[in-house]
Parts: sequence; C-alpha cells; structure tokens
Amino acid sequence: MTTKAPTELKGIERWRFGLVLGVFLVLLAVVVAWLIKLHVVQQSFLVEQGEKRTVRTEVQAAMRGMITDRFGKPLAVSSPVVDMWLNPQEVALESVPEVAKMLNLPVRELGLKTSKAAREGRSFLYLKRQVEPAVAQALLQKRIPGVYGEEGFRRFYPAAEVTAHTVGIVNIDGRGQEGLELAYEDYLRGTSGSRQVVKDLYGNVIKQLQVKDVAKAGGNLTLTLDLRLQYVAYRELKAAVNQHQAASGSAVLLDAKTGEILALVSQPSYNPNNRAALKPEAMRNRAVADLIEPGSTIKPFTVAAALQTGKYTPNTQINTSPGYIRVKNKTVRDHRDYGVLDLTGVITKSSNVGVIKLAHDMGARQLWRFFTGAGIGQPSVLGFPGEAISQMPYPEQMDSLRLATVAFGYGLSMSPLGLAYAYTNFTEEGCRKPVTLVQDMTQGKCEEGISAPIAKQMLRMMETVTTKEGTGSRARVPGYRSGGKTGTAHRVGRRGYEEDSYTSLYAGIAPISNPDLVLVVVIDDPKGKEYYGGEVAAPVFSRIMEQALRLRQIAPDDGSIQPLQVAGGIQ
Amino acid sequence: MKWKVVLLLALVLSALWQISVAHEHRQLLQRWQQQDALRNNLQRQYSMLLLERSTLAAHNRIDRLARQELNMTEPKNIQVLTR
Repeated sequence: MTTKAPTELKGIERWRFGLVLGVFLVLLAVVVAWLIKLHVVQQSFLVEQGEKRTVRTEVQAAMRGMITDRFGKPLAVSSPVVDMWLNPQEVALESVPEVAKMLNLPVRELGLKTSKAAREGRSFLYLKRQVEPAVAQALLQKRIPGVYGEEGFRRFYPAAEVTAHTVGIVNIDGRGQEGLELAYEDYLRGTSGSRQVVKDLYGNVIKQLQVKDVAKAGGNLTLTLDLRLQYVAYRELKAAVNQHQAASGSAVLLDAKTGEILALVSQPSYNPNNRAALKPEAMRNRAVADLIEPGSTIKPFTVAAALQTGKYTPNTQINTSPGYIRVKNKTVRDHRDYGVLDLTGVITKSSNVGVIKLAHDMGARQLWRFFTGAGIGQPSVLGFPGEAISQMPYPEQMDSLRLATVAFGYGLSMSPLGLAYAYTNFTEEGCRKPVTLVQDMTQGKCEEGISAPIAKQMLRMMETVTTKEGTGSRARVPGYRSGGKTGTAHRVGRRGYEEDSYTSLYAGIAPISNPDLVLVVVIDDPKGKEYYGGEVAAPVFSRIMEQALRLRQIAPDDGSIQPLQVAGGIQ
Repeated sequence: MKWKVVLLLALVLSALWQISVAHEHRQLLQRWQQQDALRNNLQRQYSMLLLERSTLAAHNRIDRLARQELNMTEPKNIQVLTR
C-alpha cells in the first residue's frame, strides 16, 4: 500500500502539475502579448489619447490698452470678465436649472437649448458672455461637470456718448469696429499668451508643460482731446440740434497753436456701453465722415487769395450793386443790394457778388493754387477710418460759373474737420500745423499757406463779422475778441440743391489778439424758422467758445474787463 | 563591481531628486497661479475704481450738482487776476 499510493499520486501530480503550469504559462503569454501590444503596437495611440484627456492648451487673453484724454482721464477701459460656456455632452440635465438661476437666464429655454445641442452632438454652447468675475467664480466653485469659464475682457466707455464717435467701439470679441478702436487695433490689442498644461479631473492645473507665448498687454493711447471741452461742446451741440430739430450736427475744436483736436463731437450719438441699442445712423462720425459744402465760410479764403495777389488791400472798394450778378445763365444774389463795399465789408456782409468779382478777376488757376496751398481740398487731414475725401475741381474744370460757385463755397466739399483745419491758416501768423488726435511728441512742421501779414489782416476782417453790422453778431463771445464767418449752404438732395433745406455753419477763431482756439459748428437741416448760419450755428459757437476759453484760462482781450493787478502776483 | 554600486546609488539619488523637483515645480506653479489670480483680481478692482471715479467726476454730473445742490452760477462780473 505504502509503495503503491505514491506512484499513483506521482502520476496524478505530474499531469495536474503540467496542466496548471501550462495554464499559467498561457496566461503569462497572454499578459506578455498584451503588454507588447500596449507598449509597442498601440503606444502612440494611447499616449495621444491620454494627453487629449489631460493636456490642455490654455489661452490667456491680453488686456486691451486704455484710451485716455490729454490729462489721463479714461475714455475706454478694459475690465476682466468671464465668458461662461458648457459642454452639453458632459452636463447633467438636472443641473441646468441651477446654472440658469445663477446666471439669471431663463430656465426652460436653457434646458431646451442644452438638450437640443446634446442631441446634435455639439460639445460647446455659450451660456452667457462677459459675466461678472464674482458671479462666475461662485458658479465655477460648485464644480458642476461640463460648465466652464473662459477669461476675457469687457470694454467700458466712461464718457459714453460724449466721445462715442471718436473713440469708437469694439465688438463682443474685443476687436475694434469703429473709430480709434479700429484705427489703432493692432497697437491696443496686445498679444494673447498661450501655454500647455496638464489638468486633473476637476480642471486644476497640476503641471505646466510649456509656455508658448507670454501674454503682453496692449499699449495705452493718449489722445489730444480735452474731456472737459468735449463735454461742453457735446452739451451745447446737442441742445442746439434739439432746439432746431436738426437732422444732425457736428463741432470741431482745434488748438490754434498746435493743430491738436481738443473736441470732436457729432449728433446724433449713441451709448457704446449698450450694444443692444446700436443704430448705424447714430454711429456716423459726422465731424470727420460727412462731406459738407462750406458755403460762405470759404469766403475768407477767396478774399485772402485776392490780398495775396497784391492788387488788393482790405480797403479796396468793390461795387456790388445791384445786389446780383449774372454768370453764364445763372443769377447769383446777395441778401440785398449792399452798394459799394470794401474788401472787409465783403466779409462782414458775406457778399456773393463781391467774391465772384474777386474770383473772376484772379482767374481759376490762381484761386486754385491759393486754395491748395492753404490745404483746402487736401484729400484727408487725419487718416481716421471712414474719413471723408475732400473734393475740389481742378482749374481746367472751372468755367466762369464753376469758378464763381467755388468762390462762395459751392462745388467743393470737405469734412467739418477739414474746414477747421483750413481755418488754422489764419492763426500763428499763417503757420498751419497738421491736425493730430493722438498725442505724440513730434512737433508737426509748419506749412505756410497764407503769409503772416495777410493772416493778420484776415483776422481783423473776420472780427467785423461779429460786430452789430456783421452776419455773425450772435457768435460774439462776451469778454473776448472773436472772429469768424457764417455760412448757409443749400443741402444737396435727390434733385440737386434743395430749395428749403439748409446746412448752417459757423467757423471762427478766438481770441483775435492771440488766437488760441479754432471752432467749427455745423448744424445740418434745421427745421425751424431760423436756418441761417448766423442764427443757428453762431450762438452755439459763442456758447462753446465762452466756456472753452474760460476752462483754458485764457485772459479776456476785448478791453471791457480790466485785469485786476494783485500785489505780489498770483500763480 | 564598485562602479556598479556607485551607479546604482547615483540612480536612486537622481530618482529621489527628480521627485523633489517635480514637487517643487508643482508648488511653484500653484503659487504662480495664486499670484496670477490675485493680479487679475487687482486689475479688475483697478479698472472698476477707475470707471467709478470717472462716473462720479463726470463733467455733466459735477455741473448739475454745482448748479442744483450748491446753488453755484457762472461769474457775472468777471474779474481777471493777472500776475
């Protein structure tokens, strides 16, 4: 027995042992084969899949540069916000109402939208854009699966409609759409940063693999605008446009010494902070983008051209009787028969007959050369997006009628800004500097369109416009000597010039003793009884100019106010 | 034999070192993220304050307050002080 049993056991043991060992070997082979498959055959695929689940490229939005006025008052500021989005594939439908409630969204609508997007297989849905950081943080802290936030910026415009046209506006993605936001897009935008990171299940960054780009904030833009003057100009222009039920209006205030734009306003305006209520017609920067025929405001240049020939002096007599003149088959009239006027009187009374006689005496070539030298008809003065291209006929195109109309401001066109630029010819002894809106340290070079003595004579002649006898008596600025020229131009309609629709203009300079400001006011299509430039635009000029001169602390120069001498002096 | 031990020791040491460096990296990253969040927060506060100030100091608001609440008017008899 004892010898038999072991042999039996041995036999069983051998095949069992063999079986177990065989099974283990097969299993081992399977495991090894699987390992080889994972490590050799499928490795690249698996690594890629793994990275897809953990490695993320994070984009850091760059902060857009600030736009400020000349004293650093903010006109456009970016503030961080969060764009909230969800992945409909990952989100549980039960958690949608909670999300909607926190973001103040309609619960039912969001639920429907989410389930629809999930059915369509979409994996991205904006919940709400530009959410307050505090709200977004509270929501993200709940760690609801499928709800994400992306950091971005929102643009705020503190001065809102007052600077809307000039500063412009960005779209919801922070790209400039209008105005300076568009013109200086590349400078303001900066470069966004991006980095590769490893994230855990909850979206926390646990490892930073590489930084591709470092976020660089955009540059700040300092304008030449003076926000105080901009406010004043906007308020007075708006009041006048409302009072006269005008279609639109604009005002341009230039520093007479440097050519810097101190105020640039247009009506109607819009609030760039409320994107929902944008109307295209309100977004038009009329001071820069509208072409106007300057009408009588061009007469000082015709007269200056005559003075430049040397044949005339401010006292040269011109007979404007009988108050009208026939050129070809057209009759051009004065307001009434002014009889014999000297050149100053032609400006004071705004005599069409007078300037036509001057223009015909000079000829087209000479007038054209003078106007071009004075920067009239220079296609663009600023390079602003959408800037109107000035137009002036060439001397070859001017027959006696065309020449006559150009002499009193028809048949050539420019923007209100272009007109203001032209008026800087009369200041700084004929030194005209390029118009600037953005501050840079480079001093613009002088261009002399009008010789110094003639510029001075013209100032004195234009000062008579604001006297009791002049057409612009209502443009007078209390305390200051001011000069300028009224203009009333027929508007161009579908069938040429309209009989009873006008553009009222006033272009002027103050104070005359040492010009500091040039202001152009344009009121388009006033509907009331008053429509002459001297009635509609001149009072606006007076109001803006009075406040602007006071704010700039320019001493009154008309002699009615005696400066008070203070012992010891004040700073 | 001796250089094998040295290599093994070096291997173990560098492995430990790598662990500690990875840990340090993670901590620095965390700190950086906190600082970044702080910077964003400060940036937000700054721009909010900037906006608030410019709203409060808006010319038309000051004008209204001066006229209505402080009963101020523009000077009628202008006297100019010069040096």
